[in-house]
Amino acid sequence: MKHKSTTVAALTGAAMSLPAFSGTQPAESTLSVSFSQYREADIPKDEVVAGSHERYDIEVGKFRLVTPLGADWSLAVDATRETMSGASPWGTLYGATGEPNLIMSGATISDSRTEVALSSTRYTDNASYTLGVARSEEDDYKATSYRIAGEWDRDNKLSTIALGFSYSSDELSPTEAVLFGRVPEASRRSRSISGSWTQVLGKNAVLQSGISLTKKDGYLDDPYKLRDVRPDERTQWAVSLRYRRFYDNRNAALHLDYRYYDDDWGIDSHTIDLSWHQNLGIGFQLVPRVRIYSQAEASFFEAADDYTLPKNQPQSSDFRLSGYGALSVGLKAIYRIPAWTVSLSVDQYRSDERFGHNKSRYEHPALLDFTLTNLGLEYRF
Amino acid sequence: MRLMCLVLIFLGGCETVKPWERGTLARPEMQLDSDPLETKLREQVYQSKEAASGGNGAAGAGCGCN
Repeated sequence: MKHKSTTVAALTGAAMSLPAFSGTQPAESTLSVSFSQYREADIPKDEVVAGSHERYDIEVGKFRLVTPLGADWSLAVDATRETMSGASPWGTLYGATGEPNLIMSGATISDSRTEVALSSTRYTDNASYTLGVARSEEDDYKATSYRIAGEWDRDNKLSTIALGFSYSSDELSPTEAVLFGRVPEASRRSRSISGSWTQVLGKNAVLQSGISLTKKDGYLDDPYKLRDVRPDERTQWAVSLRYRRFYDNRNAALHLDYRYYDDDWGIDSHTIDLSWHQNLGIGFQLVPRVRIYSQAEASFFEAADDYTLPKNQPQSSDFRLSGYGALSVGLKAIYRIPAWTVSLSVDQYRSDERFGHNKSRYEHPALLDFTLTNLGLEYRF
Repeated sequence: MRLMCLVLIFLGGCETVKPWERGTLARPEMQLDSDPLETKLREQVYQSKEAASGGNGAAGAGCGCN
């Protein structure tokens, strides 16, 4: 009897394991919703020469349904609704101390974004093929994207090779364009190709290596900045490693991710994500995590806007193009019962030029600190 | 596969894992992406607030986040 139940357990485990890293049709439907709050910390008042020192708050609601269709297909429906309010940086100028200060927008910006995405996947014995389309709309930004992807299993599902292409066409129509002399309408395109190789290393370990290439062209400036001129093309490369290992003696899993990024705007970056998934029994799990990020500045980054440069010469004082680093620490609690999963997480993000591997000459006064809180609910049926 | 295993030898190398030995790999906490909704949220936040993006799959729809 004991032998029989062990065999059944092993076969059940095997059946459950096959979808783990390969493109296999889901055996059940999964409905997920999440509610999130994103809160940016205020900027010190002495670093703002005009506008609000209060930054963005965003509320995010997400919905996802993945369900099998017939014997060989599945359908995924994603929807996102965001409402945002607050102020954002318009530009920089050198202050009395010789360091850059900020010109901010007023605290009256409010907007909302809705995104809907559909994708369908067909499964064969050792492969799956996905087609997807997504549409995102805001008052001043509309984007439509398409995606095609495939996964192929090798070595009795111990290896999976994946390949994907995506294309996005975006339309910008900045608000108050006439009043502030902004471009009234513009467009940009993005094309991306990605590949990955997932390899089971043993009964308790798996590794995925990935690579992606993205080419963007069109109007890549930030239309809300007072002086922001960027090249009208950008090529971005990224390589990544994702490692998962389970430690039987600790009843916990280690997640270690690394990404190296490089682009032709002169920016390179390193990202390390580390998390520890500790099982505590009766369905509870705690996940402490840390993320370390560092980037070099763009070749055309200026600490303060330079109005003496020709209007067609690239320059930007956007803090996102400066050299800096960021440290994020978080904690997630998960409770799983057979059909349900509930999770709650809080992450605190702090950026600082001293954390960067190739920092800018001045610390940018708009470098971000934020708190991200997320409540998730999943139902399987 | 051999080449990859050589590269990964410091991680313990590759083993042949039979289907009935994959129970641990099937655990939720062993998935590459164990919470897709939260992963998408975090990726969007980081992509809109940092210069780097990509590395894990093709991009989705853009947004005017700033």
